[in-house]
Amino acid sequence: MQLLFDKIDLPGLNTLDVYRRELGGYEMLSRAFEMEPADVLSQLQASGLRGRGGAGFAMGTKASFLPKGDMDKYVVCNADESEPGTFKDRELMQKNPHLLLEGLAIAAHAVGANKAYIFIRGEYELQATILEAALEEAKAANLLGALDLWVHRGAGAYICGEETALLDALEGKRGNPRLKPPFPAVQGLYRGPTLINNVETLMNAPIILRMGGDEYAKIGTERSTGTKVVSVSGCVQRPGNYEIELGVPSRDIIYGLAGGPDEGRTIKFWFPGGSSAPVLPGTDEYLDLPYDFESMAKAGSMLGSGAIIVVDDAVPVVDVALKTAKFYRHESCGKCTPCREGTNWTVKMLERIDSGEATPMDLDIMASICDQIMGNCLCVLGDAMAMPIASMIKHFRDEFEAHIEAARERRGLGLGIPQVNRDDHAGQTDMLDPSGDGARVTVH
Amino acid sequence: MPRPAVSFVTFTIDGREVSAPENSMLVDAAKYGDAEIPVFCYEPKLGQPVGACRMCLVEIEGIPKLQTGCSTPVKDGMVVHTQTAQVHEAQRAVVEFLLINHPLDCPVCDKGGECPLQDITYGWGPGTSRFIEPKRHFRKPLELSPLIAIDRERCILCYRCVRFSQEISEDYQLILSERGAHSYVSTFDGHPYVGPFSGNIIELCPVGALTSTAYRFRARPWDVEGAGTVCTYCPSQCNVELTVRDDRVMRVMARDHDEVDDGWLCDKGRFAYQSTHVEERITEPLVREGSRLMPASWEKALDAAASGLKKAGGRAAALAGGDTTNEEAFLLARLFREGLGSPHLAGSPARELSPELSRALADAALQATVPDLEFAHAVLVLDCDPVDDAPILDLRIRKGVRRRGVRLAIASARPGALDPNAEAVLRFAPGAGEALLVGLDAALGGDTGNLGGAATAAGSNASAVRALADLLTGAGTTQSDFSHRSTGDVVILYGERLLTGPRGTETAQALLNLASRLGLAGRKGAGLLEIPSCTNGRGIREAGFAPAHGAGYADAGRGALVAPDIAAALSAGDLGALYLLHADPVRTHSDRAGWESALAKAQTVIAHSSALTDALREHADVVFPAEAYAEKEGTLVHPDGRVQRLRPAIGRPGRLGPTSGASQPGTGGVRPGWQVIAEIGRRTGLDLGVLAGPMASRQLFDAVPFYAGLTLDAIGARGVRWPAGEAASALGAGTWKLAKLSVPAITPAAENGTLRLGTWRSLWTSPEVDLSPVLRFMQPRQLVELSPVDADRLGVRDGDQVEVGAPGARVRGAARLRASVPGGSVFLLEGMHEESANVLTEPLVRVRRVRGGAPQPEATPALLTPAGEGQAEAPASAPLDIPPTGDGAR
Repeated sequence: MQLLFDKIDLPGLNTLDVYRRELGGYEMLSRAFEMEPADVLSQLQASGLRGRGGAGFAMGTKASFLPKGDMDKYVVCNADESEPGTFKDRELMQKNPHLLLEGLAIAAHAVGANKAYIFIRGEYELQATILEAALEEAKAANLLGALDLWVHRGAGAYICGEETALLDALEGKRGNPRLKPPFPAVQGLYRGPTLINNVETLMNAPIILRMGGDEYAKIGTERSTGTKVVSVSGCVQRPGNYEIELGVPSRDIIYGLAGGPDEGRTIKFWFPGGSSAPVLPGTDEYLDLPYDFESMAKAGSMLGSGAIIVVDDAVPVVDVALKTAKFYRHESCGKCTPCREGTNWTVKMLERIDSGEATPMDLDIMASICDQIMGNCLCVLGDAMAMPIASMIKHFRDEFEAHIEAARERRGLGLGIPQVNRDDHAGQTDMLDPSGDGARVTVH
Repeated sequence: MPRPAVSFVTFTIDGREVSAPENSMLVDAAKYGDAEIPVFCYEPKLGQPVGACRMCLVEIEGIPKLQTGCSTPVKDGMVVHTQTAQVHEAQRAVVEFLLINHPLDCPVCDKGGECPLQDITYGWGPGTSRFIEPKRHFRKPLELSPLIAIDRERCILCYRCVRFSQEISEDYQLILSERGAHSYVSTFDGHPYVGPFSGNIIELCPVGALTSTAYRFRARPWDVEGAGTVCTYCPSQCNVELTVRDDRVMRVMARDHDEVDDGWLCDKGRFAYQSTHVEERITEPLVREGSRLMPASWEKALDAAASGLKKAGGRAAALAGGDTTNEEAFLLARLFREGLGSPHLAGSPARELSPELSRALADAALQATVPDLEFAHAVLVLDCDPVDDAPILDLRIRKGVRRRGVRLAIASARPGALDPNAEAVLRFAPGAGEALLVGLDAALGGDTGNLGGAATAAGSNASAVRALADLLTGAGTTQSDFSHRSTGDVVILYGERLLTGPRGTETAQALLNLASRLGLAGRKGAGLLEIPSCTNGRGIREAGFAPAHGAGYADAGRGALVAPDIAAALSAGDLGALYLLHADPVRTHSDRAGWESALAKAQTVIAHSSALTDALREHADVVFPAEAYAEKEGTLVHPDGRVQRLRPAIGRPGRLGPTSGASQPGTGGVRPGWQVIAEIGRRTGLDLGVLAGPMASRQLFDAVPFYAGLTLDAIGARGVRWPAGEAASALGAGTWKLAKLSVPAITPAAENGTLRLGTWRSLWTSPEVDLSPVLRFMQPRQLVELSPVDADRLGVRDGDQVEVGAPGARVRGAARLRASVPGGSVFLLEGMHEESANVLTEPLVRVRRVRGGAPQPEATPALLTPAGEGQAEAPASAPLDIPPTGDGAR
């Protein structure tokens, strides 16, 4: 089913003429302007559309949190697509920018916002240029009504994809996450009520209005409605963006659409929703899961931004872990302690594992660091590193241990000492080691 | 604006049901249940919590994830746990994370022993670390400024110092550079962090990352004792705690008092304690022998002083200033009035108001408090710049504007540090304060006839004056009937200089008219607040040390000379003796030449001073060594009427034995001021009846009607505001009846190439700063502030050496072009040791570039940058070239 990708490769779709002629562009916005904002909002709510940026929060519900009344309200489009493995918004904005503008204007009408911003990551130079051109066209044709819409280019920090850091960056400050509450819906940009949504989410708004919210809700599963553009990358034969109906078996996406791994390779594990999602092993048990929000959550991972990264059996898990951890260490803003120190520590431990200076016990410490990060941070960036790393240790501990052994042998350090199981010491409190983590023996 | 009402809610913490103020944060509310939630970044003084350190995670029933106690307001029925395994685990984790890059050099760290990181590690930390990787390294310590050393390895990145710079002092200098684990605290342009309040970040730092250059390695917490007293270096009279080791002051810290200082100190208050222990201190009496001052015994010095005064009798005069206590002023006034029969007592450089006007201005119903600055609807800063005149009030006003939406209006001649925060700024000509007040009075009273004339006389225009009046009344609308407009809580903060000079009486009347028209009398949260020209200006006045009135503003008859007349009378030989009680008119009063001649002509000059100034060295006949405030006992009166108590923290120098070869054993040393005055009294035949400090206080409280009921015990550590007391009505101020005002003569306009002269005093021109080694870099050199338009006409560029002159007097300084200086005016620093504006007595001056005086970039002195003006005016100094050396260096 092609909704967002309908005629996506049509030449010139990024121009207003083609968009209007081929897709009936801006008809839905005109219709929205004729409707009461509350009616538009109820259509969005009825559609059951969940945010496509990662958190999966129901879009209509979030929009309904904005206070009613006469004040400066904002809609911000989060186009700071920086999650490794995620490149759906790039294609959508590049090929069909007017759909985003129309969706943004519909959302703004629904919540009564008079100002809107598209915060696009700095590296999306081409896409920003295309969006700006489209915006010029739409403004020249006087299609956006009274909406004051701007394209703002970010400076290329992953953290600015976090909604409150994005708002700070938009205000001209250093992009650091804010404390929540207050949530942006209540106090966001310039302390005004703000609706923040991902590119893909907003692009669904005209489609929902065209189909009707109830009709849209029939697509997909009961709680994961609609279609999703999935970015498949990694060890597959046909990487790229695919629009799927939510709830199709994951195998159909990885093998059917993306062609599966190379001849003779098997899938070791895959990230179902971007690099911050816990990994799932490439076994039938997981590949047969329907690709939707609930099934992924039930399996211990998440749908996230809908970016599937496939890792085959030729790739060492330690390499993937190190690459992932380094990315998050580099992108941690440093404001809160667990993320700043935890990501840094994890990278250092993984480097030690790789260079043969670690023992299997370090895996326990690393898992415990991930535990200490998760849920304790100011925003979710820390969790975004801790979750995949912890899942890799959980599913592939044997491989980590073998890697440690091999690396130690390369260095001539011989066999690692046996690990001390954390659980054996649980509850133990002794003056020297009140943490109950067990005695640590350092071998060098 | 009403203060937020506090209601209590009931919540459960660790199984105990307690009540706590609604909407207080959990970390504060927990204290009501005897539970402690550890924090690093949380500091309510810094404004909104940031939740960065994650130390305060607690469990709240109904919320799956742990929440930060610092940012979660307590709600009725909330159930909070601080002692569950999940909470312990999270807190242990945060401590472990914080310590992985902390050097743990506690044995050599200044903070060791009083370090929140140590305490919290002991209380909540894991005890051992599992981190064996290399820690991150920085070059250290670095001079963040000449006052502060920064050790970035110890830093736990809690954001406190950065928030102080961004949100409290609003100098926007400190930032966190880099990102993630590479973050470090820095100034945004790499220049040193220099500002009037920088020292506060030392006290805010929860680890030893920011340490005081002056205190570094001088003591450990277990070596020292704390002693509370009041800082006497400016009229803010901040409450301080002195750190004392071996009878020496080692450090000054804030002793939080919401109603005085809000827990902050300026750098002068924090570092000028160094002047207590310097070689230059006089520690024994000096008596003139021939052309030189020689050490003498107390007997000899007291005899010399008494005989000089007795000889002069009614022809003696006295000045008081500096940190003169109420008791000293009171006793000296008694000595002069009762013993010598002289009424010539000047506690202020040029104030000559009648007792009625003084009473009206001191009326309890008209007194605003310091917190009122924060909660008023509007604050008018009138002819003063708090950052220099009473710095801590600058922070209070910023807080009010930033956090409570106070509407700030500024009416001053010279551009000030608060201008960027103000909703309305009105510039008037130097010395035209009266004209402005008459204009405001006319605008509020609907007298459009006077309005135009007065506004012109003030060098402004009618619409600007009317806009200011509208702001004060809270009127955004254009009502035609001015007289029936409702008014909000307005606080008028004015400098004493407004009321000095020959037109002081008319100006005071205009000020009282304004207060009356705004309905400030009796209104809680509104009123007048005066910044006196010396620390205890208000107390000196209330103790009766004034030409026109006695203790408690009682009528004292006429005929007394005010300060400028005293100088003239001394020069003319009409007066014979001058008693300088912590005052140095040559340094602080206008007409420097006149005072020099007065001192030279006087037959006897007696001074209390802690160091010799040029004037004393040349002209004093007897110099009594003065106590430093850390040694002093007595009371002061804060500008808002709070009687505060000075308590000795250390002993006076040299009192136990011989201090120099020249004096007799046991006769040197510093004696209390009250004792010296009482001794002189005895020798001149007046028994003041004072055998101990508290007896002087008792006499004062008995003599001043509105101090009735006051005792030293009642004043205690927090002070007592007499205007809020029961005896306040004993002042007998009466109700102010609107005075008929006339438009003053137009301030001399700048013509024929002359400019109007305005003067100002920097926070950093004072003897304490001169004597404190670490603060010397803050001492300003003379600056000639000009508007670019005038400079262009005169051919002067920024940094040029220029000469400012009137007939017979010249001052040299570096030109500084400021766009916000109104055309036709020039501003100079007064109170300086040399090249001071005090030598200039004419209102109009000429400015010319000194031939051959090439621009001197370094001539821009290490003057603090007014926060609003940005870094462009920061002192030129070498940047800190300190990129992090990176982590992982093995």
